[in-house]
Amino acid sequence: MSDLLSIATITLAGIVQASLQLSLGGLVLLYHSSMGRHKRRKTRYLAKNYIIGACAISFVIVCAGAFVIQHLFDGPMTQEWMMIIVGAFAACSLVMWLGYFRDGKGTELWLPKSFSRFITRRAKYTNDNIEAFSLGMLSAFAEFPITLAIYFVVANCLLNVKLPLLAVLIYIAIVSIPMVVLKINIKTGKNIIAAQKWRIKNKRFAKFFSGSGFAVLAIFLIAFWVI
Amino acid sequence: MAKKRITYEYTHDGVKESILRHARALRLPEGWANQISERIANATDKWIEDKDIVTEDDLKIFICKELDEVSPDIAFAYQNHDKII
Repeated sequence: MSDLLSIATITLAGIVQASLQLSLGGLVLLYHSSMGRHKRRKTRYLAKNYIIGACAISFVIVCAGAFVIQHLFDGPMTQEWMMIIVGAFAACSLVMWLGYFRDGKGTELWLPKSFSRFITRRAKYTNDNIEAFSLGMLSAFAEFPITLAIYFVVANCLLNVKLPLLAVLIYIAIVSIPMVVLKINIKTGKNIIAAQKWRIKNKRFAKFFSGSGFAVLAIFLIAFWVI
Repeated sequence: MAKKRITYEYTHDGVKESILRHARALRLPEGWANQISERIANATDKWIEDKDIVTEDDLKIFICKELDEVSPDIAFAYQNHDKII
């Protein structure tokens, strides 16, 4: 039961994280700027490295989180700490519902302007695989204020399963789904503007989905981990 | 404190190259992309020749308007590339 419950929590947390828009937006930016300057093959490699970078930082943070929790609590987190995380999820849910995207026609997020400009500039000047890898890491890291609670929950679940490596790989696979789907779409001939138009058209749904995801995760934690 | 004003020199090639980049991102055929970008850059040259100074926004609005008639997709890309995140 404990293994199954942990995997279910990890899956749900992965789905919520996958619904966030910054990593995907960064990849759209990278495609947009790279396709105008480089050959298709190079753009493909840059996109691949970006995705690996975004996944690598999530992997590292979750594993580091598991290590920290193990040493702080000598095992999984206590119920009081889980309640704090539930509170963080409730706050994230409100943030998502009330204002994740800026008003306007685009898909601009409520990031500090200087930071979004920095990512945009980095995407424009990304020319090699290492830069693409670090851009992926940076974009995943930039969501830290919202994803921190998710990382803690996943890290906590890792301490409850018999095969933590498999569990973390499942989580990373789920987190990378939107980026992989975009990559496949581009590979099969769709252009990046079609993808961006789709994002703009569905941004209200994305906002609702992410907000609801955080709320469901909070309720799930109360039902199965706190009570 | 007064905001520092940054000015750039207008160039035909600069406009052409930026349109070309967006056209390539859309995977338009190279010849077609070249033709569109040259045409818009020429129209921009004409529009700008009697003006001493224009803002970046004015220039962007004019280019988007012109692009919209030839290729709405490039116009969309040109207008929205800085509104992705």
